[in-house]
Amino acid sequence: MRRGHFRFQISDCRLRNYGNRMTRVIIAACIMCGLASGVPLYRDTLPNGLAIVSYVDHRLPMTDIAFVCRSGSASDPEGKWGLANGTVTLMTRGTKTMTADSVASIVEFLGAQFNGYAGNDNSMISLRVLAKDLVTGLDLLTDAVRNPSFEAKEVERARAQGLAGVREMSDDPMARVMVDFYQTLFPGHPYAHQTIGDTVSLMKITREDLVAFHKDHYVPNNCFIVAVGDFDRPELLKMIQARFGDMTRGDVPEVKAPDMPFPGKLRVKLIYRPDMNQTYVMFGHPGIAYSDSDRLATNLAAYILGGGALASRIGDAVREEAGLAYEVRTVFDQDRLRGAFWAWVQTAKPKEAIAIMFREIEKMQKDGAKKNELDDAQNYFAGSYPIRFSSNQGKLYEAVNIEIYQLGLDWADKYPGKIRALTLDEVNRAARERLHPGQYVMVVMGNVKKEDLGLSDVEWIE
Amino acid sequence: MLRTSIFGLALWSLVMAEPVDDFESRVTEFKLANGLPVLVYTDSSAPVVTVAVAYKVGSNYEPAGKTGLSHMLEHMTFQHSDIYKPGEFFRIIHANGGVNNGFTSGPYTAYFEVFSREKWELGMKIEASRMGRCVFLDSDFSSEHQVVAEEQRLSENSPSSVFWTQLNAAALLAHPARNPTVGWADDVAHFTTDAVRDWYRHYYSPSNALLVVAGDIRPDEVRAKAEQYFGKYKAQPVSLPDFYNAEPKQVGERRLVVHRVVTQPSLAIAYHAPGILDSAFCAAVVAGGVLGQGRGSRLYQRLVVDSGLATSASAYSETGRDPGLFWVSVTPKAESLIPRIERVVYAEIGRLGREPITDRELQRVKNQVIADYIYSRDAIMWMAIILGSYQLTQGSWREFKLYPEKIGRVTAAEVQSFCRGFLTADNRTVGTLLPIAQEEK
Repeated sequence: MRRGHFRFQISDCRLRNYGNRMTRVIIAACIMCGLASGVPLYRDTLPNGLAIVSYVDHRLPMTDIAFVCRSGSASDPEGKWGLANGTVTLMTRGTKTMTADSVASIVEFLGAQFNGYAGNDNSMISLRVLAKDLVTGLDLLTDAVRNPSFEAKEVERARAQGLAGVREMSDDPMARVMVDFYQTLFPGHPYAHQTIGDTVSLMKITREDLVAFHKDHYVPNNCFIVAVGDFDRPELLKMIQARFGDMTRGDVPEVKAPDMPFPGKLRVKLIYRPDMNQTYVMFGHPGIAYSDSDRLATNLAAYILGGGALASRIGDAVREEAGLAYEVRTVFDQDRLRGAFWAWVQTAKPKEAIAIMFREIEKMQKDGAKKNELDDAQNYFAGSYPIRFSSNQGKLYEAVNIEIYQLGLDWADKYPGKIRALTLDEVNRAARERLHPGQYVMVVMGNVKKEDLGLSDVEWIE
Repeated sequence: MLRTSIFGLALWSLVMAEPVDDFESRVTEFKLANGLPVLVYTDSSAPVVTVAVAYKVGSNYEPAGKTGLSHMLEHMTFQHSDIYKPGEFFRIIHANGGVNNGFTSGPYTAYFEVFSREKWELGMKIEASRMGRCVFLDSDFSSEHQVVAEEQRLSENSPSSVFWTQLNAAALLAHPARNPTVGWADDVAHFTTDAVRDWYRHYYSPSNALLVVAGDIRPDEVRAKAEQYFGKYKAQPVSLPDFYNAEPKQVGERRLVVHRVVTQPSLAIAYHAPGILDSAFCAAVVAGGVLGQGRGSRLYQRLVVDSGLATSASAYSETGRDPGLFWVSVTPKAESLIPRIERVVYAEIGRLGREPITDRELQRVKNQVIADYIYSRDAIMWMAIILGSYQLTQGSWREFKLYPEKIGRVTAAEVQSFCRGFLTADNRTVGTLLPIAQEEK
């Protein structure tokens, strides 16, 4: 076993035949890279397009499997917000031959974990199971993906749970501000609504919608499987081939996204809450897409500005020096479509905190970072990367990311080098081009009035 | 299409040999001359090492008027020492590719750093500095004091946080676990640099601490560096008060209504329950599992599946050393349904006391505990925290492995006996979170 650093190896790529009864599995790519321990990450593809990314680790007798569909809430049809999330949730709650209670009974008796949830761009059913129960777990997963029943009673139950979830979210000031921020920044955009939907949209979703979403999006060319843990890889591939090999391809509806205009000026929505003794502020503007060629440089700039929270310019100025907040940060969202650049603070003195944050963003955009700041940021990004691989869960998430964005199986080997190769000019150019001081959408919630915020030249959103 | 029947495990199971549990062989235990106990957990599957130090001080040890002081001290230890000045701590960690955090709980305060193997010694250097070389200046204190006040306000503005904090305080009359870790607002407002410094000098010493190192590391490497960095400090015996019997017997149901700006009501019920060293503890865990862990649990079935009165229902017993609370929590579909929901909960609890649980229910919980034991070993960086937690609350890291075995010995009769003894009307505090009229513009 090799360890101590990431290894890049190329194995022989060839067709593999898994016996008479099995269809030949075409290994579309089997470049492998050592995820921290010299054990390779493999990628195999079934003829119908379903990719299987696997990492074998016999350290513990357990296996994590994720079935990922490349459609998330951005694919929700107009007004049916929450459909992708409802679909994947209900897929784990009953099939044509098993009720939701039967599924739960098996999962819980095995001490397994079996959940479905959606994000903006993807949906995932995750299974964690002891190695001895892998076949049973895989059967449950297969049945959920291929034969969900969307039984009427379960649909109603999930709807009630969804509504409770939406209410809980709107009751939490932090979540409420985030919801309003995205709605205000991205009107008419697939990222404007929440993954879990809202109280109006959840009432509109029908069983037919769920069936249709499943049929349209859960096709092998729009899905992949990641497996990490204690299993025999050829055996696992054979089992996956037997269970998913006859899924048929389909045309997946495309996500239509309007271009996101910059606000042009400061636009502020104020939610007056006299019961609160702290003000929650989120502001920002359109950011970058994951595929942006400047993504890594932009991330380094954002980290230096306010991403490192307690080791960043904004963290220093707002928290360490002025003691104005416990939480303060800036982030560029990392999604398939262009996401948001956002800044967040919770403070009893919003006027002072906002002024400092505006100043620091402007300074970063204009003057950029310093060499020593970049050195530290690069050391952090590259040096802490192996920590992600110190658990199966971490390996699974990284492998999912690698497959979603087609980063290549050698990504884990290349990433630290890519980070270290970025120059100060590249990072500062990214800051200059990606930050747009003043062009913010801002949501403020707290016991404050317009005049308390010290903002000028504002368009107030009622 | 299911090609294998759900229970058709035979073939696959036969080819998989039962794995050997090598957990104990991975742990080494020793003590420095100054009384600092050290645990080393070796797992070389990733080139990463976690260094964690815990101190036996937390919100449980704070006298009236000083709640939150351990948490304030936790913040201050990141500020200034012989090797870092304000604003430098996180930069040093990040510039060396590490991640870190600290947390305060009732019985202890813990800190950890995770570095790649080649940088692990820095974790030892930093934690040794934190143990004995922190500097407390008024100039550093004032801004961090405001940060902590903001953190305290954060919890006041979250309706669910207010609800749980107040219900916990209503359920416990005398045990210090009734106080929030972050402290009550007025206590937080009155902290001083001197009070924090005194707290530090009293509790932060090798003989009141525990060092745990986990990951790609050998015990002899840890021993050498522990001597080098921590060996210089002198033992300083601390007598820790014992609150095991602090809480008086509850003599009647208590009820609490919390009004906040919410649209979704909540119901939670807290019963006094045995601590982790008590012989009834494992039965409490099983009762929690049968009542309220997962869709197959009794409360979920009655409240969410059968009657549709609620959208979620759960139950569990706290896992502290001292007697704590057994919680039932329910998300009602509407406020008006709460009385009916309560009746269902009490009826199910009554049944649990009268009739033995089924073999399958008992086995389900046991299987879940065994599986969780395996799953919890997945993240190597958390093993330092898990082992430290067992060592501090139960007296030995070995309890981590013994826990599934102990749960495995629980009988249906013991679960009945626990329910009859603890889950009674006189022993509960019932809390509801309800909406107030909201003014918003």
